Amino acid sequence: MAAPTLAERRPEIFLAVLLSLCLVALSLQVRRPGGRTVGEAWLLTAVSPFVDLVTGVRSGASDVATWAKSRRALRVENGALNAEVERLRRELLRLRDAEEDKGRLLELFGAQPSPPPGTLPARLIAVESSGPFHTALLDRGAGDGLRLDGVVLARGGLLGRVIALGPRTARVQLLSDKTAAVGVLLTHASRGGRAAVAKGDGKGSVSVEYVPTIEPVEPNDTLVSSGTDGLYPGGLPVGRITSVSRNKTLFWEIQVSAAADPHRETIVFVLPPVRKSDVTSGPSVGERR
Amino acid sequence: MKPLRVAIGLSLAVLATLALGALHVPAPPDFFLLVIADMARGGAAVPAMLVGLPGGLLEDTLLAPGGLLGLHAFSKILVGYLLATLGARTVVEKPLAVGGLLAGSVLVEAATLTFLVWVLKGDFLPPAPWLLLARAATTGLFGGLLYAASRVPWRQRREARRRVRLT
Repeated sequence: MAAPTLAERRPEIFLAVLLSLCLVALSLQVRRPGGRTVGEAWLLTAVSPFVDLVTGVRSGASDVATWAKSRRALRVENGALNAEVERLRRELLRLRDAEEDKGRLLELFGAQPSPPPGTLPARLIAVESSGPFHTALLDRGAGDGLRLDGVVLARGGLLGRVIALGPRTARVQLLSDKTAAVGVLLTHASRGGRAAVAKGDGKGSVSVEYVPTIEPVEPNDTLVSSGTDGLYPGGLPVGRITSVSRNKTLFWEIQVSAAADPHRETIVFVLPPVRKSDVTSGPSVGERR
Repeated sequence: MKPLRVAIGLSLAVLATLALGALHVPAPPDFFLLVIADMARGGAAVPAMLVGLPGGLLEDTLLAPGGLLGLHAFSKILVGYLLATLGARTVVEKPLAVGGLLAGSVLVEAATLTFLVWVLKGDFLPPAPWLLLARAATTGLFGGLLYAASRVPWRQRREARRRVRLT
């Protein structure tokens, strides 16, 4: 049986066209609760797959662009991080070498970084200044093992010495005291050391006296205790030169910023007094063991 | 003659529908369906559908002014096509069969309308069964009678009576 031709299908085509027209007309008259007609709703339903497709394509393209952008940023960041890792690796190797060098040198000179025996920790409980006299009070005394002329050391460097002892407290003469003095070495990286005397100025600072103007002295030169004064061991940081000026005499007028600030310290260490036998050789802290 | 016949048929259907509506007849026959069925006789589907379109639109205008225009047009076009297809495949000669076919057409049209309203408005509103059956019965009866009347050879009988009077 042959398939019906288009002419033979004429009534069905006509029927479909007429019914479709009626349906379209009806759908444009009926309104849904949202205000849209049924025809509009049908149209939207029919069109929505294409809208979804277009939206999906756009979204996908946007995602690809974002991915490419973030990939570029990640590559740049990765490069920076690699460089940072390489730098840190080099730094680590350098520090390892320095640590090994330090260990070798300490072994070579027989020095130990640990504090000398008899060193006691103490809490700095008060700082007093009365005119030119500058002292501090510790919460340990003779009953705790402290002795007169014990050297008081703070985190930054030399703070002073014990000048009075109670059973549970001790009074410390600070370096800034007008009557305090300490033998120092002015050190510079290229010039080595030059002996001098640092004295408290009674105003909270330290100055260095009797350095002839023919000696080259510059700001930022450091001061360490020389160990020749019979009171303090050698090698302890005392301060850093802040200003150097010439007065009418033959000596420099040198102002020093103390290495240890008593107003900023709460815990200090009290070293045993210097033995007279050590004075002549000017031993350092590590060597006094 | 066909367009004139359709125009007269539709006009009469409008008048009859208005008249029976004014008389508050509870289940009047579907006069528009009769016009469409007349066109579908002999299997002419396209003319039947073409008559179904204006017939349905007129029915929409008359029965539900302000309602959905095209509702009855849809169902009338479909019924016109079905009747024509049936007429092309079978021979329906007896008035009783014609009446039954018309009654069935009323039921099919009611089902179509119910389905359309459900699709478009979301409400399933079938007509009252007794009213639907009554309308199918009156349409079938009226259509069957019309068909029977149309088959009576009125002209020959009138000629015969005149010859009898002359002799």
